[in-house]
Order: sequence, then C-alpha cells, then structure tokens
Amino acid sequence: MVVGNIILRLRGSLEFKCQLDSTDVPHVQKVISRTFEALGSQVKAESLVLSLSSSPVFLWPNKGGHATAGEISPNRPCKDLQQLIQTDDQESSRKKSAKKDLKNPTAGIINLTLMTEVTEPGVHSAPTLLRGSKKHHLLQTTLPMDCVVSVLSSESISVVCGTLVGALCSQLGDMEKVALRHMKGTALLIPQPFHFLLPAPVGLVTVVYPAGVPDSQLETRRKELHSLFELPDNRPYLRRANALHFPDEPYKDGYLRNPHVHLNHPALENGKPYLVQGVYSYHHYMQDRVDDNGWGCAYRSLQTICSWFQQQGYVERAVPSHKEIQQALVEVGDKQVSFLGSRQWIGSIEVAAVLDQLLGVTSKIMFVSQGSELASKGRELANHFLSEGTPIMIGGGVLAHTILGVAWSETTGQIRYLILDPHYTGAEDLQVITDKGWCGWKGPEFWDQNAYYNLCLPQRPKTI
Amino acid sequence: MGRGYIVEDVVEKYLSNLSVPGASCVTGLLIGQSSSQRDFVVLAVRTPQKDTEGQRSPSVSRRTGDSLEHLDVEWVTEHARQVSRMLPGGISVIGVFLVTPPELSKEAQNTLRRLIFAVDKHISKGRLWSLTEEDVTEKVTLHICSKTRKVVCRTFDVRDPKSSAKPADWKYQSGVCTSWPLLTCSVGLNLVFPVLEMHVLPQDMEKCMKEGLQTWAKQIEDGLCLINGDAMPGEVELLGGQKKNAKAVQQTFRAQILIPMAEPQSERRSTASVKVCSGSLTLKGMVQCRAYLHSNKPRAKHATEVIKRDVINTVSSRVEMFLEDLLMEGEDKGSVGVQQGLPRRVFAPVPGMSLCVCDYMFPDECVSDVSDRLKEMLDWETPEDSIDTSQEAVPEAPTIDLKNTVVQKKLKAKSTLDARPKTPSGDPTEAHKSHKTYYAGVAMAAAIALLATGTSLIYLSD
Repeated sequence: MVVGNIILRLRGSLEFKCQLDSTDVPHVQKVISRTFEALGSQVKAESLVLSLSSSPVFLWPNKGGHATAGEISPNRPCKDLQQLIQTDDQESSRKKSAKKDLKNPTAGIINLTLMTEVTEPGVHSAPTLLRGSKKHHLLQTTLPMDCVVSVLSSESISVVCGTLVGALCSQLGDMEKVALRHMKGTALLIPQPFHFLLPAPVGLVTVVYPAGVPDSQLETRRKELHSLFELPDNRPYLRRANALHFPDEPYKDGYLRNPHVHLNHPALENGKPYLVQGVYSYHHYMQDRVDDNGWGCAYRSLQTICSWFQQQGYVERAVPSHKEIQQALVEVGDKQVSFLGSRQWIGSIEVAAVLDQLLGVTSKIMFVSQGSELASKGRELANHFLSEGTPIMIGGGVLAHTILGVAWSETTGQIRYLILDPHYTGAEDLQVITDKGWCGWKGPEFWDQNAYYNLCLPQRPKTI
Repeated sequence: MGRGYIVEDVVEKYLSNLSVPGASCVTGLLIGQSSSQRDFVVLAVRTPQKDTEGQRSPSVSRRTGDSLEHLDVEWVTEHARQVSRMLPGGISVIGVFLVTPPELSKEAQNTLRRLIFAVDKHISKGRLWSLTEEDVTEKVTLHICSKTRKVVCRTFDVRDPKSSAKPADWKYQSGVCTSWPLLTCSVGLNLVFPVLEMHVLPQDMEKCMKEGLQTWAKQIEDGLCLINGDAMPGEVELLGGQKKNAKAVQQTFRAQILIPMAEPQSERRSTASVKVCSGSLTLKGMVQCRAYLHSNKPRAKHATEVIKRDVINTVSSRVEMFLEDLLMEGEDKGSVGVQQGLPRRVFAPVPGMSLCVCDYMFPDECVSDVSDRLKEMLDWETPEDSIDTSQEAVPEAPTIDLKNTVVQKKLKAKSTLDARPKTPSGDPTEAHKSHKTYYAGVAMAAAIALLATGTSLIYLSD
C-alpha cells in the first residue's frame, strides 16, 4: 500500500440488453461483442455522471471532470473530494479508529456510484418510433460494475475521472471475455468482479468470474492468474472468499472479525510476534442462541477454526453448529449415537477428527505432559504461524482456548501467547472483548502448570 | 376555512365578454396551479362548440329549462383532456365554470359537481406518475349568473366521491403569473420495448408501449433533480435569493435529471433472462420540457416535481396521440421497419402573459394547423410567427416510404376531438391538408414522369 495514495471505488449497474436473431454461435458472439461495445460508448458519453457517496457532489468525468459543488474544480487534487464526504455523528470515534486503520490499506476509500443524466441528450431531434418485426430472443440483465483504482492523492480530479472511465472500459472488456468464454446457447452467465489484495508488489487486482460457476470449476483460470501474478501455487489467493473486504461494508452475519488487530503487541527483547494469517470470526459461548455455557468451549474454538478455512477460501460450507459437530463425530465412529444432543466436552483429538470429516483438513497434534512445558514451545508455535498461519485449538485441564499467535524471544526465552477465549458470554462488543482480555496476550502463567495439554494445529491444504 | 383563488384580471375580462345568447348555458375550463397555501387561476376557456348537424348542440342550447340535463359531459371532459396536453408542467385544469341564466342557478351546482368529478377522472386517465400526499386534490367550480354576473365559487375534493361543496374565495388580481419561475430541460430518450411473442402488433402496441413507459416513468419520478446545477434539499425555497420588494421578474431555472444507469437485479440470478419476442419498439429522440411554478414561496421539491411530471407527460401524450392516430387511420403496412416521427412539441405564448402553452405537430402538419388548434381549444388568436417550432428539430432520417407515396398520407383531423366520430363537413384544415398532399402528389408524379422521359431518351439515343 503506497502512502500518499487514495483508493476510489466506483460501483453501479449497467443494463445489458441484446437481440439475438438466431442462436448459432458466431452470430450470438458477434451480438454480445457489439452490445459490450455499445456499453463502452455509453460509459464514455457526456451523460455519464459519478455520484460521490454521502455527499451532494456529482462529477461528469467525460466533460473534463466538471462537478456540481462550486468548490470542486477539475484541476483540484482528488483528496479534496474526501473533505466533502459527510460522515455521521460519531466523527471523533471514527477519527480514532481511522488512525488504527492506517494499517488497513483500504481505509479512507472514496465511494462513487454510476448515474446517467437523461437531460444530456445525445440526439437533438424530436422522437421517432421504429417498429421492428423480426422474431428474436431478448437477452437482458444488469452488469454489476465494481472498479477500484488507486491514485496519488495529489492527482487532479479530471485525471482521476479519466482513470475511472478507463477502469470501467477495461472491466467491460474483462466481462466480455468471461461472458463469451462461458456462454452456452442463449444462457449468458453474469460476469461478476471481485477485488483481491495480493502481496506486494502486485497489490490490488480485480478479477471477473462468471456467476453460478463454483470455485472448484474455476481452477484452470486461477492457475493462469497465479502464474501471471507470480503467486505460490499451494495456497489460495483468488477464490471468491479471498475477496477483499472493504472496511466500510459491515459483515452481515454479526460476528466480529480479527479482534486481535486492535491490540498492542508485547515488545519483547529480541523477540517478535508470530500471528495467525488472514481472517477468522470470533465464536464464543451463547452465540446463535445456543446456551453452551460451561461445556461448549472446544466447540467454539473449532467454529473459529472452521470460519478461518471458510474465509480463506478453502471450503465453501458454512461454520458447523454444535449439532453438526456432534453428528460428524458419530459418523466417523468416534462417538456413540447417545452423544448427539448431549453436553459432553470434546478435546483436540475430536477437533482434528471433525476438521478432517467436514472440511477435509488434516491437523498435527502437539502434546505437552505439563503446562509448564508450553513455555519452551516458542519456536514450534512460531514456525506454525509462519508456515500454516491457522488458529490453534488448545485443550487441557478443564478448559479449551484458541491460540492466535505467539510472541517469542530466541535469546531471552520470553514468551507470550495471543489467546482468543471462547468462554466469553457477552455481546459482540469489541471494546469489552479487548479491554477485558477476552482476546488478549497472556504469559506462560496462564496455563495450568501441572495439567497436560493437547494442541490441534490445522494444516493448510496445498491447493489454490 | 375555504381555499382562496387568486385569478388573473384577463380571466375576469374573458368571462364577462363571453357571449351567452339569451337563456343558454356555457361551460368551460379553469386553468392554473394549486399549492398548499394558495391557488391561482390564469386562464379560462369555454368549451368549443360541437358541429351542429342534427345532433344536439349542448353548449348552445336553444331550449330553456332542461338544457343542463342535456349537457354533454363527455364533450367537456374530452376538451379538458385535449387542453391538458397543451399545458406545460405545473399548470393544469383545476376547475370548471358554468354560466347559466338565473333560473338554473340552483341546478347548476349539481351539474358543476358532476362536471368537475368527470373532468378530473378523464384527465387523470393514462397518467404515468402518481399523486403524492402533498398534491392538492381540491378542484374549483365557478358558477356565473348570466344576468347578474354574480359569481359563486366552491371547491370539491375529487378524491372523495362523497365530498360536499366548500365555499372558496375568488379574487381578481393583475400580474398573477408575471414572476412565475420557469424550469426547462431537454430529455434524451433511447428506449427499446420488447414485443413478447404472445403479443400481436398492432393491436397490442399500446399495451407494450404502456408497460415500457411505466418503467421509464418510475425511473424519472425516482430520479435526482438538479436545479441550476445544484442538488438542493427539497425544503429550500427556490426564490430565496429575491429581496422582498424587488421587482417581480420571471426567473428561468435549468433542470437536470440524474438516474442510476440501471436498477440492480432484485432476484438473485446467475444468468441473463431470455425472452422470446416477435418484435420490438424503439423510441429515440429528444423532448423539450417546460414547467412553471407559482410565486408563493415555492420549494425545490415542488420544482423537481413539476418538471419531472412534464417530462413524463410530454412523452406519454405524444405516444398516446400517435396510437390514437394509428387506430383512427388504420394500420399502415409500410410502417414496419421505418422510423416514424412522433408529434413534435411547439410552444406558443399566452397573450398578455409571460406563460407559454404547447402543442404537438405531426410530421405532415404545419404551423397554421397549430394556430387553428389553439384557436379552437384555447379560444385565442395566435399569430403564426409567434409559435416557436425550433425547440425540437425535425428528425433527419427520411420518414417517407416511397412505396406508399405521399397521396396515401394520413389526413389528420386533429382539430376534431378524437373521441367523436368524424363529421364530414370537417374542418378547414382538412381541406388544406388535402391540398398539400395533392400538390405534393402532383410534384411527385411530375418528377417520375421527367425521370422516365429522361431514361427513355437515353435508350433512344443509343
């Protein structure tokens, strides 16, 4: 993420409508291409208007970036647009979290929507009516345009407008390719854009995938893109679930994501933190109207791990419920049928079994005979977070927890554990969760020094 | 508390100059604007006479006593509908008047009630936009005694069929609309309506077009309107800048309408929808729109409402007229695959006021037809050179299909009200038109003859 850059996101729907006089393939392809071409002209027309979200500002990108609000002239830097966006009441708390979000490269995005001005007529003569009488198939849909550009904050508005229109045109081109590639007869799959934040130096890319085709059938395409962007071929970067989540779009399911990013990491002499990679959801007691207070901690840790695999794109199935977890254990023969509906605890072995049965994920099991031994596991845990980066479930004594990271010094042997505690029974309040240590760094005294512990270390499947 | 109508002086003059021979009754329309606080009447127009051809002539009755019963309500409402098409946005038919001899004054109230409900119902037919809660639904009825010239003004809420008459004030004033703000814009159209397989043209043409236009009208209604390039919040006063005692001047505001390029799909589909169609209807071009607001603290939201409604009305009126014409003249086989010009909007000033009305010219009509129509519908003389035909250009593409040469061209009887059967005596414009086509036909024939001679000469010289 380059400092001094601004991200602009332009979204809107374009109407795709075409008449197919016959259904033979070359004709259909020609018509589809012509329709995309016409959309390209529409996007370059003077009637195109960009509406700056949450503001009274409208821009005409094809009229040199002319805008409605008087203060904005086309040669002003585009960062001036940010000042016109009306934030809501909690401006001070927003500023606070904005500071923290500097780590998040997509903070401070400028959102724009596509509009058209009907009072900017391309024609100037009175209306005519043309009656066509050819039988045809009418194909109709709307294309979900979604372009993201990263520009210097000092770049002028008129240039930025040009960049946005260019991004629209090139997205139309990508959509055309996808539409033609996956077309069958008169069935046109709707091309959908997804944004991905790839590791440096690539950065933000947008890929168009056809709707209705699951990730499992798009592996060839992903292989092409992995080699194009020089991405490793053993972990997913471009599955739909890996799509960038923009900070201004709240998750609809209500779970908190990555509460640990709001913490300050311990500063150890010659030591550094090794953390979980990617995104997980915080699952804990009492969620989903399931009262598992006192017995469900391992189940919740397992749910957190499953959420990680789903959000990194390894699986498409939703996070399993307590019932589904118990069912899976019965199916593999680990438990009797009487287990179903009970409040029996499970341990790391069961967690590993369910991960295998429901997600096809294998795990490594680490065993310590005494809690005090955990203090010496710094290197192993660090290596796990470096290579796999998955959350770890740890069970022992009478408790289960999730380990999200370790801070460890090779020279002094100091160690801290980043713990996500499933025993929390309150609401999804980030402030409470971080302040009260439900997600927090703990020292080696956190473990019962005499109890034995089992750790389940889930392994990433080697796939894209 | 009743409503208060502020009426232009010219209306008083017009009403007092109405020739009402003896014991006859005269009906007519009252045209103006209603706002929540005040109502304004700027024009009064008598119902034009029907041709007397053995048919009863309702507006000029020679019989006394029972003339009101034979009042041709349909005729009055049809006149109202035609006049409505000629009014720019903001201005509409807001009432009716009735002049009767003194002995019919009592009955007149009932008649007025019937009339106003019928008129409102008829002019609301085919409307593509919806009334909002803020729209005033009270309409005015005015009774004038032909002998004493006494005026009784009452209003009815046309939304409620059981509503009773409420008294209202009727006050004359000069210069009511001199400072009425004017909003203008030109709207581009590029609409393609599919004709589904199950539909058959031309019978279902109206249905297909209406459905398509309804969707378009909703987009316009929901669209964002900028006034002089500014997205004003609805409650802002449009004329806020004017000083209190400043000389009243008509301001013109430019409107811009922005709509999303398309509505995102409501259903979660992964493929484009496919429909089998037997044809399509493409409506392309530009329409010029105008709307007036009153001067009693109009707000931005009223402004956007009136201009949007004019946009919708002008398109739906033209399409209606085109379809009515088609129905009357019968299907022209040569019209398929040919771009046919829809009526073109022209503007004419209202004598003595800073307002304009409009009319629609079919491709084969000319300014004198407009002038004649204005005389018949609105009862005033308009010099031809004051009619502005420049706002909408004639479409460039030739619309003549040589196969059906000009002789077959439709004779449009625009001045006869369409709902009535055509009277053979017709109107002067019809004869005029046939002249036009005759001459054109002769010219065409001459040209062909010349060509033929020319070709034959070439052959002979070989």
